[in-house]
Amino acid sequence: MQPEVKTKKTLHIKIALIITFAVITPGIAGLFISLTPILYLLAGVLSSVLSIIILFWILQPLSALIKSTGVFSDGKLNHRIDIRSGDEFEEAGNSFNTMADKLSKTIQSLEDERDTAVSDKNKFSEILSSVIDGIIALDFNKRVIFLNEAGKQITGYTETEIYGKPIDQFIHLFRDKEEILSKIYCTASFNQSTQLIGKMGKQTRINLVTTQVGSTVQTNLSCILVLHDLSREEELEQMKLDFVSMASHELKTPLTSIVGYLSVFLNESKDIPKESFDLLHKAFTAAQQLQTLIQNLLNVNKIEKDQLSVSSGPIDYLPVLSKAVEDLRSQASQKEIILTLIPPAQNLPKVLADQVRLGEIITNLVANAINYTNPGGKVEISTTVSPNAVQTVVADTGIGIPKEAIPHLFGKFFRVSSQTQQAKKGTGLGLYIAKSIIEKLHGKIWVESEAGKGSKFYFTIPVVTQSAGILNRDKFDSEAIQTGSLNY
Amino acid sequence: MGPTPKKILLVEDEDFIKELYTRQLTKAGFAVKSAVDGQSGLEALKAETFDLLLLDIMLPGMNGLQLLREFRTQNPNSPMITILLTNLGQEAVIKEGFELGAQAYLIKASYTPDQVVNEVKNALFGSQPPSSIPTAQ
Repeated sequence: MQPEVKTKKTLHIKIALIITFAVITPGIAGLFISLTPILYLLAGVLSSVLSIIILFWILQPLSALIKSTGVFSDGKLNHRIDIRSGDEFEEAGNSFNTMADKLSKTIQSLEDERDTAVSDKNKFSEILSSVIDGIIALDFNKRVIFLNEAGKQITGYTETEIYGKPIDQFIHLFRDKEEILSKIYCTASFNQSTQLIGKMGKQTRINLVTTQVGSTVQTNLSCILVLHDLSREEELEQMKLDFVSMASHELKTPLTSIVGYLSVFLNESKDIPKESFDLLHKAFTAAQQLQTLIQNLLNVNKIEKDQLSVSSGPIDYLPVLSKAVEDLRSQASQKEIILTLIPPAQNLPKVLADQVRLGEIITNLVANAINYTNPGGKVEISTTVSPNAVQTVVADTGIGIPKEAIPHLFGKFFRVSSQTQQAKKGTGLGLYIAKSIIEKLHGKIWVESEAGKGSKFYFTIPVVTQSAGILNRDKFDSEAIQTGSLNY
Repeated sequence: MGPTPKKILLVEDEDFIKELYTRQLTKAGFAVKSAVDGQSGLEALKAETFDLLLLDIMLPGMNGLQLLREFRTQNPNSPMITILLTNLGQEAVIKEGFELGAQAYLIKASYTPDQVVNEVKNALFGSQPPSSIPTAQ
């Protein structure tokens, strides 16, 4: 860009003149004035001194140049040289100024770039810090190369403690007591709730998502772990469960009175007009349904908290079945449904179950059958015995279950009506509870149904084998009175 | 039932339930006394002898199990039958009740008062025909 500057030779001439002056002056002086050797020498010295002084005067811009270079290199990028010696020094000064201009522009643009990079970096680290989930980045040797704020809080570690060190020496992840960090290490799509154990055994329930990074060896980034702290959610969930439990218990107390008083009233009021009796009977039925509903809420609560305890002991099945069915007889007759408990063909062996829980299963299944059967229909309960289990069938002539609904039937809050848009009451908890209890009792539950043709719900309860009978012979075998739930 | 009615103490803090059970048990021919908390229940047990104790577990102040423990400590040989009334029934609580000599437990919510009376009769006199709710005609 800069046209090639023709280098001046002025300095050369100047120096040549001085040397000439220094050498020739005494000689010329000697020619005109006869000098003693001493004076001659003196003149030589004098001219040399003068020459040196002149030389210094000539070279003075050089020191300015040197000084300016120093100032510039000290970082004063605006510093420029002003030499007007008309010689090469002036030229060097100008070149210096040109270079300084270019250099300071380059430096400026580098600084700008650096500032942008720094601000980008700050922005990203600000973003990562603000993420409420913990983020840990690992290199190809499982060493921690990044940990954000939330990550520090969840694990309890700071960057200095953990950076550059293998993650599995610091953090442990457990799922059902099984250490999983080594197994799931950066599998493509890991997304599960796990227990994290960090510094000083600090435990946190987290949802862990791992992402494999398809990076080059140069960036040395292989895996990103995202830790979502579940403790707050679990706390809220716990509060919700506690509230439901507390509210349900509180609701039960007055309801027990209502059902109790109504049942006594109905028992004693045979001579009141039929119409009045029917009105009260409907109130009684509704109150009983409410009781079942509240009981179901409490049960679901227990299932959610994993606290649904089912005590399995040898019990007589038929009395439990009869009581549950009889308790629903009035509901059935109100709907003009014929409810029949077919007496077993043979004596039922003792089953391994929890009386009250078993009663709840039957109540739920029979109440459902009544609920989904139209007036004039039938609900039949029968039992068959196999070597290992008693199988019970609750068959109805009701509206049946569409094929597509059957796989979801035993899920929580599932109601066939929500799919078929048929308005039917129910919370959709009964079958979910029944399944949970039956599974705890090591039995099975399933359904056969066709829309419009009724449903058959089957469930099995293991019978007492000799060894099981001995194992389970504890205080709960007491046959004193048919009583008791073990878990409310 | 013999000429002298069997004596029952009902310890229950819910007034309505207490009233209702008392009424039904009295109608069934029992001599019923009641108490609304553990302390007064224990005092009633000290004052006279009962054939059967219907004991709620959740009581204000001294709870049912504490009452039972206290009573059993003072009267280790009492032939009194104890039936626990409960709405809560955690396994441990029931188990503890049995260890303290309770013969049975029943859940208030799933037993009508007449069924409760029936269970009391069962406990005192042996098996009775089951009672059930009348059906609408």
